Amino acid sequence: MSLVQSIVIGLLMGTVFGVALEKSRVFEPGMIVGQMQLKNFIMLKVFLTAVATGAVVIATLHGFGLVKLAPKATFYAADVVGGLMLGAGIALAGACPGTVLAQVGVGYRDALFTLLGGLAGATAFGYAEPVLKPILAASGPGKITFMDLTGLSYPVMAGGLAAVLVLILVGLEMWRPWRADLGADVDGDFGPTPAKAARPHLEPAE
Amino acid sequence: MSEIAQTCPGSGSGFACSLKAKAWSPYVAGILIGLLQVPAFLLIETALGASSSYVTVGGIAASWIDPAVTNIDYVAKHIAATGKNWWQVALVVGVAIGAFLSMRISGARRRPISPIWSRALGTSSQGVRYAVAFGAGFVMLFGARVADGCTSGHGLSGMAQLAVSSTVAVAAMFAGGIATALLLLRRI
Repeated sequence: MSLVQSIVIGLLMGTVFGVALEKSRVFEPGMIVGQMQLKNFIMLKVFLTAVATGAVVIATLHGFGLVKLAPKATFYAADVVGGLMLGAGIALAGACPGTVLAQVGVGYRDALFTLLGGLAGATAFGYAEPVLKPILAASGPGKITFMDLTGLSYPVMAGGLAAVLVLILVGLEMWRPWRADLGADVDGDFGPTPAKAARPHLEPAE
Repeated sequence: MSEIAQTCPGSGSGFACSLKAKAWSPYVAGILIGLLQVPAFLLIETALGASSSYVTVGGIAASWIDPAVTNIDYVAKHIAATGKNWWQVALVVGVAIGAFLSMRISGARRRPISPIWSRALGTSSQGVRYAVAFGAGFVMLFGARVADGCTSGHGLSGMAQLAVSSTVAVAAMFAGGIATALLLLRRI
């Protein structure tokens, strides 16, 4: 696979990814902040559906011997500290490292600042990595999976995970239908000032 | 609300029609995103991810000012001209393109700043929002690199592979996100 081919494939896959993020509205700050404030569940629904689908398709490819699993190594301190920072950033950005690009694409101006901050943060980590690595990656059990911990096979675990996630999603949807979380401008905004807002495309005269 | 969520007003059907819809079911979108693991694994021999690309782009930009940054193995590894590195940069660029096209086709135009921010931050100042966004982006990517993955790499891909590291990182991510959104932001 040449570099150019990889880039073309990346652009095509990213375009599909971007359409899915935009159509599901999960890239909206209102959806992400709403999820973290536990009043909007579209993010969780998209996320868990994608995890369940991924588990099934990766297990299928793996079953045919077409792919090797690539789990990341476990370093508990790094996973917990990094995860907490990542989550805090997501809440204040109203975006994830991937969805911020969708925000840039639709014209959210603040997303450009999130993107620049992200590039600065990643670069800062690059400078700090030689110092941080001995602390963060001091000890850990390596690339372990729940298959290693339970002794079950990947197809069984992946199928079980997908089944549990589907049950959770069915329950979530019964409790809270997704359309109820969209908002009038499909941005997860349920603010008190709909009349004041400029929403020309929702006017009857359109 | 139903007139917004409906898949296609008037005549027409199928894919082209769906692209005109402003909103899809989260389940349709989630399945589509999950299916992207197939080309990722088969063609690039990697899983979906996003945050490494920030090191690639940031590292290259830094090397223009400070060539010595390439002496750091971690940076050198990320800015190397490999298919995986540039595939991921292309992937996130594609995300912006896809979202732009989707928005243009459906007509779901956005204002420059989401209306939730004036309530969440307690001010309608654009400068405050830009500053918060920059700081949040910094913390978000620094944290993602500490954890070695983000919502995509750990969340979508790691959890689908039942990796212990990813499950811990995603639990911490939601814990950090919920605590921050409840303690530091006002209710939207």
